[in-house]
Amino acid sequence: MADNNSRTFEDLNVGDPLGPVQLFVSRDQARKYARACGLDFPRFTDDEAARKEGLPGMILPGNMSLGILTKLVTDWLGSGGGLLTRIGTTYRQPVQPDLTLTLQGFITHTQPADRTAEIDVWLENADAERLVIGTATVHFPAR
Amino acid sequence: MAVEYDPAIIGKVFDVTDPVPVTAAAVRDYCEALGETNPLFTDEQAARKGPHGRLCAPPSFAVTFRNGRHFYQHVPRFGRSGFDAGKDVEFIHPIFIGDQITLSSHVKEIYEKTGRSGSMVFVVIRSTLGNQLGETIAHIDHRFMHR
Repeated sequence: MADNNSRTFEDLNVGDPLGPVQLFVSRDQARKYARACGLDFPRFTDDEAARKEGLPGMILPGNMSLGILTKLVTDWLGSGGGLLTRIGTTYRQPVQPDLTLTLQGFITHTQPADRTAEIDVWLENADAERLVIGTATVHFPAR
Repeated sequence: MAVEYDPAIIGKVFDVTDPVPVTAAAVRDYCEALGETNPLFTDEQAARKGPHGRLCAPPSFAVTFRNGRHFYQHVPRFGRSGFDAGKDVEFIHPIFIGDQITLSSHVKEIYEKTGRSGSMVFVVIRSTLGNQLGETIAHIDHRFMHR
């Protein structure tokens, strides 16, 4: 959930955590995302069709995982002046719906000269397997 | 096995889409589907006090713009099955309602890696999003893995 804080660059320390945030993505929400993005391919909407493609059942679009991790960062930034300037994600394993996912991250580096910070983020399942991993860069313009 | 391909394809723009309008309904649907509640993207009044001074789309909305019909004809496949391995997105300018977004795509790089399951070829397609003012909105690097 988005907070209303105004996180500043001066607040940041290497090792500071983002999350953990628990997130349950239902089949209906995954389908809704796929349809909203024009990605309504069978693997994202139908278990049987996904199994025919060799998948364990319907999966979340990779873009949805990227969106979920992007939201983790923008929620953490809050409504202040901090901006997400980059995110990179690697899809290590398919993410299935109707499971509780845990989103988290931490600050790996801060760069006072340009007021940026680097963050590691990931999405894991109940067995703590990191299904999607990524890195993000945030920038805090000088006031 | 070394990957063989025509180096002339690197950097050559092969796909430019027609402008796609950003509607309030599309942004609202995207926010609902993602469970987005950040007031910067959902509350016009709150967004006026934010860094952009008005409502804009969440950053990840950038990945919803589809490439052209012929996009996949130009992604080298090396005769193997392919997967979406990930994306790198650089956000340069926010997307506002009313914008007209165009995508232009080229092959950025091709490289090979050897992992536990054998050799894999990665094809990176860079799509650049621009708006009606000629501003660059984002660069999206799509990593396709073939094995």
